[in-house]
Amino acid sequence: MTQIEEPPKRSIAEWVTFSIASFILAIIVSLVGYTWLNEKNQPPILSVTKKETIREIDGQFYVPFEVVNSGGDTAESVQIMAELMIDGKVTETGEQQIDFLSSGESEEGAFIFTKNPRQGQLNLRVGSYKLP
Amino acid sequence: MATKRQKDVWMSEINDIIRGACGGFLFGIPLLYTMEVWWIGSLAKPQLMMMAIAFMFIVVYLLNQTEGFRKRRYSWLALQAAMDTVEAIAIGLACSTFVLLLLRELTLETSLKESLGKIIFESVPFALGVALANQLLGDSRNSNGKGQKPDSTTSNKKDELNATFADVGGTLIGATIIAFNIAPTDEITMLAAAASPPWELAMIATSLLISYGIVFQAGFSDQQKRREQKGIFQRPSSETIMSYLVSLLASAFMLWFFQKLTFSDPWTMWLDRTLMLGLPATIGGAAGRLAI
Repeated sequence: MTQIEEPPKRSIAEWVTFSIASFILAIIVSLVGYTWLNEKNQPPILSVTKKETIREIDGQFYVPFEVVNSGGDTAESVQIMAELMIDGKVTETGEQQIDFLSSGESEEGAFIFTKNPRQGQLNLRVGSYKLP
Repeated sequence: MATKRQKDVWMSEINDIIRGACGGFLFGIPLLYTMEVWWIGSLAKPQLMMMAIAFMFIVVYLLNQTEGFRKRRYSWLALQAAMDTVEAIAIGLACSTFVLLLLRELTLETSLKESLGKIIFESVPFALGVALANQLLGDSRNSNGKGQKPDSTTSNKKDELNATFADVGGTLIGATIIAFNIAPTDEITMLAAAASPPWELAMIATSLLISYGIVFQAGFSDQQKRREQKGIFQRPSSETIMSYLVSLLASAFMLWFFQKLTFSDPWTMWLDRTLMLGLPATIGGAAGRLAI
């Protein structure tokens, strides 16, 4: 292979890669601009829901849940509490902490009880969160 | 003649891009394995992201004026350095997105703002690495094959076994330098927990590809010497696989050393975590082989 002295100007190949690069950068910048304009200036709105199926394995009951942040800001240390009421008194409780929940994000997990949640009333709620 | 020249132009351009990406991987991979950076990205406001892009542009531009990832220099032209900067940032954005996807830190469920934050904050060190690509591993090879004649007397003296030991040693040193910083952190455990077998296969493929790219494709300093070096595993494909295995062994050892793995752990855990640390280790190992 012989060495070709390149003139100090850009080749077609370099123009092509430059166009692709500018395209990528333009997309990212415009997406950031888009989120900036559409920023919801509202605090986190957190909700927790029970998922449909409760699994029973070896006498333990797995209750899956999903927590969603439908507000604007990110919530940190989201605390989810579960209380199982049987015959009017709290028999079992559970607690779970989610590190980060940004706007529109959802996380899933499960509480585990030794009593059947279907025999009583199961309350799931978000206990607290802090702002980052 | 014209078509050959055209082909050369494309080849050298692709090599430039690969060199940039490899520099980025060397510099950026420890931060890609840092959860604090993911969090900062997750929490970042769009204003801050814009500032990060602007800051990244300025710093990479300044670096490109002196070094850059291309073999040829346009340092006398401010516009050319600016164009290189755009490319360096784009390489950083593309590669860090890819690794974040590979590590399952970005999924389809991740919200747009969070994804953007993670990508942008991870691509800052990556783009710096791209701009430093030539600096990181030297820049003595100016053209293919020319001026890089390996010293025949030394290569004769070295027998195959010695060369192989030198390779393994270089891989171990490089792998240790990069992976030692990552092994004791919680990220490996976290990432391994989220990885499923198809992702682990992708991880293996990526590790091999980047390792091959750094040693044989990117045109770093000693590439020509490496191609001609004698050793038991001295074909690019077998050397790449061999050094990946060495890096994996080193990773497993470091994880054990930092008590992230114990002998009572199931073998799947050893496999998951070792593969997770294998990517940075093999990148370091590739750099180590070039450096010896």
